[in-house]
Amino acid sequence: MIPSAHGIPREEKIISTRNLKFTYEGGVQALQGLNLDIRSGDYVAIVGGNGSGKTTLAKALNGLLKPTSGTVMVNGMPTSELKVAEIAKVVGYAFQNPDHQLFCSSVEDEVRFGPLNLGYPEQEVRQKVERAIEAMNLGQLRALAPLSLRLGERRRVSIASVIAMDPQVLILDEPTTGLDAGESLELMNSLKRLNAEGKTIILITHDMKVVAEHARRVIVMANGRMILDSDSRGVFSDLAILGESNLEPPPVVRLAHRLAKHGIPHDVMSVEELVFQLLRSRGGG
Amino acid sequence: MGGFIDLYTEADTFLHRMDPRVKIVAVLLLSLLAFILSHLYLLLALLTFIFLLLFLARATISRTAFALKFVLRFMVLIIILWPIFDPTGTPVLASLGPIKITEPAVWRGVTSAARVGCLATVWYILMFTTSQRDLVRALVKMGVRFDFGLTLAISLRFLPTFGALIDSIKDAQRARGLELSKGGLLKRSKNYVAVLVPTIVSALRTADTLSLALQSRAYGARADRTYLRDLNMRPSDYVALAVLAAILVLPAFAKFVMQVDI
Repeated sequence: MIPSAHGIPREEKIISTRNLKFTYEGGVQALQGLNLDIRSGDYVAIVGGNGSGKTTLAKALNGLLKPTSGTVMVNGMPTSELKVAEIAKVVGYAFQNPDHQLFCSSVEDEVRFGPLNLGYPEQEVRQKVERAIEAMNLGQLRALAPLSLRLGERRRVSIASVIAMDPQVLILDEPTTGLDAGESLELMNSLKRLNAEGKTIILITHDMKVVAEHARRVIVMANGRMILDSDSRGVFSDLAILGESNLEPPPVVRLAHRLAKHGIPHDVMSVEELVFQLLRSRGGG
Repeated sequence: MGGFIDLYTEADTFLHRMDPRVKIVAVLLLSLLAFILSHLYLLLALLTFIFLLLFLARATISRTAFALKFVLRFMVLIIILWPIFDPTGTPVLASLGPIKITEPAVWRGVTSAARVGCLATVWYILMFTTSQRDLVRALVKMGVRFDFGLTLAISLRFLPTFGALIDSIKDAQRARGLELSKGGLLKRSKNYVAVLVPTIVSALRTADTLSLALQSRAYGARADRTYLRDLNMRPSDYVALAVLAAILVLPAFAKFVMQVDI
């Protein structure tokens, strides 16, 4: 157990799955035996093509789907014995489409809904709501009707409504889809802050640029299996495995791979790193 | 989910091949017949005939179980409730305070249940053997305005979509700690507001987008649109129509003109 900067033991497993299998009613085997540990403070991206099992996995992690066989343990308790509302205190899940969650007449009411459901006392609810509104930068919008906002804002409201329940783990399904570059960056910076404050983040995404820039650990899914679980540098140094699951690494990573024979390392992940490596190799040659 | 919203099962039987207009007329005729007949034995014969048609349409028990279970439950309910609320006739079989159970009332209950069974099952035959597209085509061909036909087709098409949408919204709210079945009646109906509002909003958004999509594909540009697949009555369809007409006309003639008690 290595304590992190925030005093939360790094190696503490919040979620762990053992031989997790899930089969949908129609017979589709969406998950085929996953062994996965999520540790406190992790910043994990789950990536994979459409139909690879990402969303099923995420729903299994917060108990919306109970394993067909195998186990999912949340803080040492099997999800099969817990209600979704109990798991929601530990594992929050922001759905891909914010319009599936929003129904209140003001942003503040919307954010309040979750903690009230969990039965926190009024004082605590108020604190949690304030923190969530601040974390998602919604102060200006708090009195407005969520459904009247733009998509990027609605997404922030839906994420705030999950953060307000103060879960240890935050699962976000495709949080950057449909956002412009500015909105996306703002959202990702907010998530980075939350992670620095000790929240465990699990991103489900197609957006490999977001993965390269933010995630520390990447899980690649294909056909209901985990085909890779490594730190993000490891993932981007192996393009073949990404191709296998219909994912395309960001251009800067591909460029770095093309320049490999000129001495650029395989694990470049950002424009800054590539510039640094290029200048270095030029200076050296 | 889609299993009981669209009952249509693809197969190649004479009922599947029959012109959907004939099938609609047939269902109406057989429904009328169920009202004309008042003897239990005749109604049971009609019910048997309808089940024979279902069998010929290759409707298996597993496919029809959902629908038939519903009909059966309704029939049992009628058989139980009818005698309780109908105290007329003799002999009295049992009585408890103001409630009198009489033998004729029991028979009337069973007869009504058989009639309801006929009515419900005959409509299932139509749904089992006719795709929604053909059903709508038939209605339009029979004079229903194309807009209404299209509206019906779109509604049917989107039922499963909305089923999935509601499931997803329920999941999203459960993830926020909402327990739908918790609390008393009032609390529970309040819980459903959290599902209902996003459902309606999403439905309106979908409708809005859909209407734009339709317009961008020139919907409504001409009143007399053409069809890729047209319906054509074949000789066998006319035969079926004649047979069905006979099945209705003969008992109707017997009952109303010759005053035979059937």
